[in-house]
Amino acid sequence: MYMNRLDQAFAALADPTRRGIVVHLARGEASVSDLVGLFSLTQPTISSHLKVLESAGLISRSRVAQLRPCKLETEQLKAVTDWLEKVQEIWEGNYKRLDALLAELKQAQKEERKK
Amino acid sequence: MKPAEVSTPSDREVLVKRSFDAPVNLVWQAYTDPALMRRWLTAMPGWSMPVCEMATHVGGKYRWRWRDNENGQEFGFTGEMLEVALHSKIVHTQIYDPGDLGGSMGGEPSIITVTFNETNGITNVATSIKYASQADRDAAFSTGMTDGMEMSYKQLDGVLAG
Repeated sequence: MYMNRLDQAFAALADPTRRGIVVHLARGEASVSDLVGLFSLTQPTISSHLKVLESAGLISRSRVAQLRPCKLETEQLKAVTDWLEKVQEIWEGNYKRLDALLAELKQAQKEERKK
Repeated sequence: MKPAEVSTPSDREVLVKRSFDAPVNLVWQAYTDPALMRRWLTAMPGWSMPVCEMATHVGGKYRWRWRDNENGQEFGFTGEMLEVALHSKIVHTQIYDPGDLGGSMGGEPSIITVTFNETNGITNVATSIKYASQADRDAAFSTGMTDGMEMSYKQLDGVLAG
């Protein structure tokens, strides 16, 4: 269940326009028309991007105000970055062990040449 | 050495770049000799690599399997070497073997291309993971293992800093 939502968030963030919207919303709330002007896209296009972000839990839209401003849901975004950090740690963990192994092989090669 | 750099050249591809302070012949050895591979390719802390079979020639098969030392759960990858150019390039297919850990990375094999390039004793390694389809790439995310890397970390760092 949790993983499905995270999948959705990744799929949503794979699109450069939607990432752009997320970056913009990190600075504060914005309405659809703000975003239409900013990204030079049509209102239906922006609205469909927002729908994807909203169903992935990355943004929410006010039900009260007439302009229905969009707001970033930082908790979901944090789930995404936490996961990415974990994956990067795995790669970097492997590479750090490889660094150490290579240093050892280099030393062995040096000693071999001395003989 | 600088930490691994990750980018997404296309919606089916993930590219990881890293430099190593060693000549290419040693890096190549560490990438192709099973005894050496098992010493660094252990996936995560607390995991080991009980199976590491590797036939580094065109048409050769490989089988890697990792084990969580705590609960004994295993998963792995298998595939076939498509291209092998000594000290310069390895291209192989990759199929996820869920073992008893489960999960899926889609049905079709992905294509892994590793290129090695030495300048002044520093070897630059670029690993490209090309998924058969976007759906397969998305499936890899939910499994969450090494290849499931999608976005540029820098972009997300930017988002959080914003």
